[in-house]
Amino acid sequence: MIGIRLKFTKGSEVKYISHLDLMRVFQRALRRASIPISYSSGFNPHQEISFAAPLSLGVTSNAEYVDLKLTEPMDVREIRRRLNNSLPEGIRILAGIEMGGNHKSAMSVVSHSRYSIEIYIENLSYCELKSKIEAFTAQKDIRIMKKQPKKGFELKETDIKPLIVSMKLAGSKEGKHTIDCLLLSGSRGNLKPELLMEAFKEFTGYDIQKIKINREQVYAEKNGKLVDLLEYEGFQA
Amino acid sequence: MKYDNIKEYIYEELLSKVEKPGRYIGTEWNSVHKNPEEVDIRFAFCFPDVYEVGMSHLGMKILYHLLNNQKDIFCERVFAPWPDMEEEMRKSGIKLFGLESRDFIDSFDFVGFTLQYEMSYTNIVNMLDLAGIPLRSGERNEGHPFIVAGGPCAFNPEPLYDIIDFFMLGEGEEQLLEVMEHYRRWKSSRGTRDEFLKTAASVRGVYVPKYYSVEYNKDLTIKEIKAICEDIPAKIRKRVIKNLKGSYFPDKIVVPFIDIVHDRIMLEIFRGCTRGCRFCQAGMIYRPVREREIEELVEIADKLIESSGYEEISLSSLSTGDFSNLNELVKRLVSKYQSSRIGLSFPSLRIDSFSLKLIREVQKVRKSGLTFAPEAGTQRMRNVINKGVDEEDLINSVGAAFDTGYSKVKLYFMIGLPTETMEDIQGIAGLAFKVVDRYYQVPKEKRGKGLNVTVSASSFVPKPFTPFQWEPQDSIDTLMDKQRYLQKAIKKKQITFNWHDPYVSYMEAVFARGDRKLCDVLIKAWELGCKFDGWDQYFNFNAWMQAFKETGVDLDFYAARRRELDEILPWDHIDVGVTKKYLRSEYKKSLKGELTRDCRAACTGCGINLLQEGGVCK
Ligand code: SF4
Repeated sequence: MIGIRLKFTKGSEVKYISHLDLMRVFQRALRRASIPISYSSGFNPHQEISFAAPLSLGVTSNAEYVDLKLTEPMDVREIRRRLNNSLPEGIRILAGIEMGGNHKSAMSVVSHSRYSIEIYIENLSYCELKSKIEAFTAQKDIRIMKKQPKKGFELKETDIKPLIVSMKLAGSKEGKHTIDCLLLSGSRGNLKPELLMEAFKEFTGYDIQKIKINREQVYAEKNGKLVDLLEYEGFQA
Repeated sequence: MKYDNIKEYIYEELLSKVEKPGRYIGTEWNSVHKNPEEVDIRFAFCFPDVYEVGMSHLGMKILYHLLNNQKDIFCERVFAPWPDMEEEMRKSGIKLFGLESRDFIDSFDFVGFTLQYEMSYTNIVNMLDLAGIPLRSGERNEGHPFIVAGGPCAFNPEPLYDIIDFFMLGEGEEQLLEVMEHYRRWKSSRGTRDEFLKTAASVRGVYVPKYYSVEYNKDLTIKEIKAICEDIPAKIRKRVIKNLKGSYFPDKIVVPFIDIVHDRIMLEIFRGCTRGCRFCQAGMIYRPVREREIEELVEIADKLIESSGYEEISLSSLSTGDFSNLNELVKRLVSKYQSSRIGLSFPSLRIDSFSLKLIREVQKVRKSGLTFAPEAGTQRMRNVINKGVDEEDLINSVGAAFDTGYSKVKLYFMIGLPTETMEDIQGIAGLAFKVVDRYYQVPKEKRGKGLNVTVSASSFVPKPFTPFQWEPQDSIDTLMDKQRYLQKAIKKKQITFNWHDPYVSYMEAVFARGDRKLCDVLIKAWELGCKFDGWDQYFNFNAWMQAFKETGVDLDFYAARRRELDEILPWDHIDVGVTKKYLRSEYKKSLKGELTRDCRAACTGCGINLLQEGGVCK
């Protein structure tokens, strides 16, 4: 069995489609592109595809990952070329690797995500926002009410402070401010950027008119360093 | 404020606020995008229901690509925005837009609606209003699009006569292009609106209501329907594609992002039906039967699979088992696609031991349940409706299913059929019990676990162009009595009983056989907030009652009245090929419980073979 990991974009054109929808999009694109995808055995065989870390509706990304299992070898560049001809606008395969036999799934190694968050607040200076962000992150803890999907969406108070690695103001221009943040993402702790912004909104009382979020990077931890998921296994093609 | 233009505002702002933005994206795989500057005709193809329903409809898929195949035409899709989206649109003054370009459709050349069921009519009114287009034909001027409609409900177009500028009756593939050709000429001649409608009316199948006058008798029945000028045909004949061989079928279809009701390739294997069930409108209006050749079907399937990436093909028709060489077709498809794991499904296949074998061999994902449609509970009742199944057939087929391990079956019935008595209702329960008994005859170790028999009883709605078009519908009270009776009679832990809301069926009955007076009622009901009437959570019976009261129209005149056989019916100026004479004789036979055989063996004289273009019955 051949394992392939692909890195792709989820652009504005497809930002409103859910994780489940994305799965279907890939299944059908793989068929259109005649990629020799392998099927699980069992009663209802399905294509062996899995994604790294789900993205919320409305969020775009430059760094999504999908793992595929193939039944026969195919050059990663060929897969990329074929898929890019078969995927809808907004989804572009950027790069890919072939992985060794017993690699870990993308989903299981994800540890961090870097986001760029654009917010619109009128009449607010760079310095003012910068110090607000510093005050926000300097709090002892940042408590929010979090929905627990596994417990019937019951609300539970949680401290998200440990989930924020960094949060910085990258720039301001005509009411548009760009925040850069590195958040824990994956099974050891996961913070959605929307939730972070909700907490920030509550903390500041700002009237944020619009929030645009883009995932810039997804990392795995390898020997104490954060690396791109493609670098985690094998070599980049 | 922060958006460069309205399109961006719609995409970034509105879509971020609604529950299912995937309905409004418009860039699905195989969707067609053209530069509006480079086309002459812009067509908004509207389905008056939500995206998931509309996108599951085969006719729309065909016509969308047919129009877009014309270089100078840009056809876009429009669905009824779900109420959350509508609210956002109205709040920010966003008019109804085409999904592909996000341009407002009030500047298009055509706005076309497909009429699949009566309970979508208020959505048409609502969509026109959302588009900023005047609701009534007479209020529109040269700057407005032409509003056109087609689809099965267009065969009784009268309840929409003042809203729709013109109707297209019958199959659209040829007439739509002919109308477009007239439009091209008209547009370059810079004629008046009327001039276009006049030339459109010359296309066979086109009905322009304003060129026909209706006179009424004192008792409100119709005295006369006639064309108001000489160059307008007295009768409008439905269009039929003479031969499906080589007739248009798209080689690609739009593949939605979100899950829709029927998310698969629909391969239309034939049109029409010869069985002659007397309650079934489709069986009459889609005649004659025309099959596509196996060779061509396989070719089409090939192209669609390649261009869509779908994993399932469903063979679509009114009665799949009647395809002359189903075995051969299935064999060909299976041998081609089994290795690429493409599944086949047969949505309208009658279950018997032959088809059961087929399903078991072929259907990839084995559905846990099977559906049977005896339609009525006693043999007498089934003879009245000309449903040619007997109890033995049914028990044998269900038994064959149980023998092979199925344990969930669904049985479809209608209640409120003409001449029905409580004995017939009791018969439904009796039949369900026999099905249960049959299950227990299978040795325990061989049968599937957890028997569940679902009995689903819908209320009969008499439809135009059927032998029952003269019949009254049961009153709501009677239908409820029958439902209650059945519910009691059928109580058993293995049986689940489902029924339809009789209030909706009543409204359906009113509109199905409605005349022009209903147009005002419809607009009034919309003003009172009616929309998405096909959806339980939105259907508002009281508002409808109010609308009828305010317009002084009596519902029972349409739903609960027995028509005289010589009464002029609101759709008498429309010729579907099957003659009134034939329907009358079928009606009389039905009352005597006489059967009419399937006309594939020998013609029973319905008249469709005399419809000029469709003389194809052998
Ligand atoms: S003309 Fe005769 S064979 Fe053809 S559909 Fe009618 S009854 Fe059947």
